[in-house]
Amino acid sequence: MKRPPDDLRFSAARRHFLRTSALVSGAAGTMGVPFALNLAALAPAHAQAGDYKAIVCLFLNGGNDATNMVLPTDAASWAAYAAARSNGPDPIALLPPGTAADTGARPGTPSALGGVLPIMPRFAAAPVNAGRPFALHPAMAEAADLFQAGRLAVVANVGPLIEPLTRDEWMAGTRRVPSKLYSHNDQAATWQALHPDAGAGWGGRLADLMMSVNGQARFSCMSVSGNAVFGAGQSVQPYQVEKAGAIAVQGLNGPLFGSSLASSNLHTIITAGSDHLLMQEHAAVVKRSIDAQVEFQAAFEASTVPSPSPYWSPANRLTQPSDLALRLETIARVIGAHAALGTRRQVFFVSITGFDTHDHQNAVHSDLMAKLSHGLAYFDSAIAATGLRDSVTLFTASDFGRALSSNGDGTDHGWGAHHFVLGGADVRGGEIFGRFPEIGVEHTASIDSNALLPALSIDQLGATIGRWFGAGDTDLDLVFPNLRNFSSRDLGFMA
Amino acid sequence: MLSQTTFGPTDAEIDRVVAIGFPAWLEEQFAKPQALHRDYIDRRTAEIEPLGFAAVQNDFLETFFAQAVAGEDQLRQRMTFALSQIFVVSLADNTLGEMPRGVAAYLDMLGQHAFGNFRDLLEAVSLHPVMGIYLSSLRNQKESATRVPDQNYAREVMQLFSIGLYELNPDGTRRTDSSGNPIETYGSADIAGLSRVFTGWSWYAGPAPGDRTRDRFFGISAHPDRDWQPMQSYSGAVADADFHSTSEKRFLGVVISEQQAADPEASLRMALDTLFDHPNVGPFIGKQLIQRLVTSNPSPAYVGRVAAAFAGNASGVRGDLRSVLRAILLDPEARAAPPVGGAFGKLREPVLRLTNFLRAFDARSISSRFNGIDNTDDPATALSQTALRAPSVFNFFRPFYAPPRTSIADAGLVAPEMQIVHEISVAGYLNYMRNWIARDDHPDLRLSYSAEIALAPDAGSLVDRMALLLMTGPMSPSLRNILVASVEDRAIPAAVLDAAGNVVNASDRDAAARDRVRIAIYLTMASPEYLVQR
Repeated sequence: MKRPPDDLRFSAARRHFLRTSALVSGAAGTMGVPFALNLAALAPAHAQAGDYKAIVCLFLNGGNDATNMVLPTDAASWAAYAAARSNGPDPIALLPPGTAADTGARPGTPSALGGVLPIMPRFAAAPVNAGRPFALHPAMAEAADLFQAGRLAVVANVGPLIEPLTRDEWMAGTRRVPSKLYSHNDQAATWQALHPDAGAGWGGRLADLMMSVNGQARFSCMSVSGNAVFGAGQSVQPYQVEKAGAIAVQGLNGPLFGSSLASSNLHTIITAGSDHLLMQEHAAVVKRSIDAQVEFQAAFEASTVPSPSPYWSPANRLTQPSDLALRLETIARVIGAHAALGTRRQVFFVSITGFDTHDHQNAVHSDLMAKLSHGLAYFDSAIAATGLRDSVTLFTASDFGRALSSNGDGTDHGWGAHHFVLGGADVRGGEIFGRFPEIGVEHTASIDSNALLPALSIDQLGATIGRWFGAGDTDLDLVFPNLRNFSSRDLGFMA
Repeated sequence: MLSQTTFGPTDAEIDRVVAIGFPAWLEEQFAKPQALHRDYIDRRTAEIEPLGFAAVQNDFLETFFAQAVAGEDQLRQRMTFALSQIFVVSLADNTLGEMPRGVAAYLDMLGQHAFGNFRDLLEAVSLHPVMGIYLSSLRNQKESATRVPDQNYAREVMQLFSIGLYELNPDGTRRTDSSGNPIETYGSADIAGLSRVFTGWSWYAGPAPGDRTRDRFFGISAHPDRDWQPMQSYSGAVADADFHSTSEKRFLGVVISEQQAADPEASLRMALDTLFDHPNVGPFIGKQLIQRLVTSNPSPAYVGRVAAAFAGNASGVRGDLRSVLRAILLDPEARAAPPVGGAFGKLREPVLRLTNFLRAFDARSISSRFNGIDNTDDPATALSQTALRAPSVFNFFRPFYAPPRTSIADAGLVAPEMQIVHEISVAGYLNYMRNWIARDDHPDLRLSYSAEIALAPDAGSLVDRMALLLMTGPMSPSLRNILVASVEDRAIPAAVLDAAGNVVNASDRDAAARDRVRIAIYLTMASPEYLVQR
């Protein structure tokens, strides 16, 4: 990776920004964690009585190969795509629209999958790609239907950026670029928190802004997939739930091994404060777990949505349960319980793994695409069952996109990628936002080993969602520190 | 100290350390022979193959627990477990999940080098087929007009297995440039250069160069030992099996010149020598080993002492892991009496809490297989952790993880194990351990509480035994008091004698004594004082 000269890594713009941050907060921000002020204190009461909005971040762990998820099918693009991906022992080039599936072919291979599925963008809200034909991965029939129904949008070639960047500027090293590109954990953290070392993610920061409208602030940000920085705010701590909801510590109610005192002492012991930082913080988590479980569980159990059907995997041609859909069911149930929980603005995090397809990409990725497509359709229907389809917006995110070139049976780490946004009336579905890049190994958006240079930044994507969520311009500039570097603050995919 | 060096203290190991002293105990442990997990898988396979079954992941977990609980080479195993969290492969990977013998052999390989030299370890890791599959260096081919070599292993061998992302001082702190910014150790050009080294390596095919056919490179006509024998190079001994890149390879300031005839062994030697000699390795790997064994936040001076041991042992040899282990475990920071407050120590890993319990109470396997513990991944009902089942090459938790919005993060400290601590997992752990402690009907494992039951009438002694077997040091007086009171609350009824002088309520008394033991164990293992190993 080319590194910009050192003087640019701490440029005038950054110094200015830190200075202004310091003026607001009374404390200089550290690099990449540019605000230390308590956002909750600024919370605008944008939320009107009775309304509800939720953001769901669906994170695809490992770096999704979006090149095989959303494809331009014009002749030039297709020829370049096929050339880059048809080599090696196990070619990963998908087949053109209309190709019949070969049921005799090895499962998961392009021949077995059949051709990519054409989608017909409206080119109304987003005319930039007008005239170009597009398609989705052959295992994404449900996603194609959602797109045509206007509830699924595509955001093209988005990724971490500090400021707009051309290929020439990249080559010359004259612009600031995100650190630790191509590194899984760092780029996953950057997607979630806009910097590899940030302690707070933009989901949590948006929740900070809104938590005051929630009767139960502790449920402002929730994860069904373990700890992730996305949901950590300045004040908000993400709350974890799982399929059964919250988990009660047994033995707290009623005698423990024949002793009532042991039971009450158990509570004392596991929640006790301490002078030792590790003990203190562990006990704090246990205390949150116990306190929140009592409040959460009854409301959760009373809220049900239709359970997901199994999905059909092209990798083994079997129908099987989807861990993604089961996690999305939990989110839908929590959303359905919002009145009982007293929540009006919520941020959710869910992730699935397996996207690091350096090899065996055909089998692995086709399975994941089928699971993702099925999960999106299930979530759409489950949220519809709660009556809140227009109030919930889901977006996909991932460590990075993958390089165009095949390494024989898979793909290596990239940068920019295409992503989905799913929702109801507020999402301008059936559209592709952002200029869809050319395909090929030498063009204006191709760098290094054929990674995509992003045209749109996460700050812009997040701010577009954040504005819908109720954040004002001042708030957005605090949550998305690079937003001011881009001319467009709203990508237009939210009505 | 046995919490740092074993899968949990036992009476026997405590006695041994007391008898010969900790430094001598370490030397004794260095000399203990290793038992191979692969041998167990082979024995299992021989038993079940005639019945139409193959070894599965749970067979691997059986041998893992059998050795962790009952093996004598505790230090080697604990070090191996630590290494398995740096050089990560995972049974959670679809392909490796079907290769329990290969993963068993991978763990054996880490154990074989646990007291050896880091350079040998790095090479053995790089050539192990299980790593080759996990990070896709196996079957990786040289570049062509449309193909670039797979970069996965080239990237992670630098980022995770040797030098890390940023240039380090010998004490593990980051070096900075004139503007105060950290200095990256490598860029994508280095990865592209190094990726060419890791081309042309694939499955073990047999001793003769001619065994290495094109088919075997791609996995056809498998050699029966290919899941554990080191990968071999395919560089043209057979006409159509020439997969190693001969082009120039530049990385980290060194250049491997263009090769007239492909020489993958020479490429590999130069690459691994370069990584091994990088000044980052000692502080980078040394600090992580300290974190796995002793404390999450070692002082820079402590890291520096360990890195110095890495840089040269008594004979000046670089990379001697015995020397590194002595430096880690005999350091004043590791051996000092832990302060009450502060942040010294580490959160015990959930798997180590389980083995701690099983060893303390002398778990015996009826079948001798240690059957039935199985996968403990589920945070809601188990431990959020299973040996050799990390969710990715970034392990169960990252070395630099600091839980956001906590006093730990505010203090600039880290707590890697906290990455798998959340509202669900803490409840899941407590319930899981409570279930172990409550039951005496495990299908294969029997715990012995005889010593504890004998102490049950004397709550103070019973609780002191918990401190000895489960905690690293003495309990705080406040925790001890609350435990003693809890134990005493479960009254043992006075003996009632019949006319002949026989105790007629012996079973009630026995049940009460067992409850006392359970209360003592559970409340100890639930306490933050236990959960933080100091």
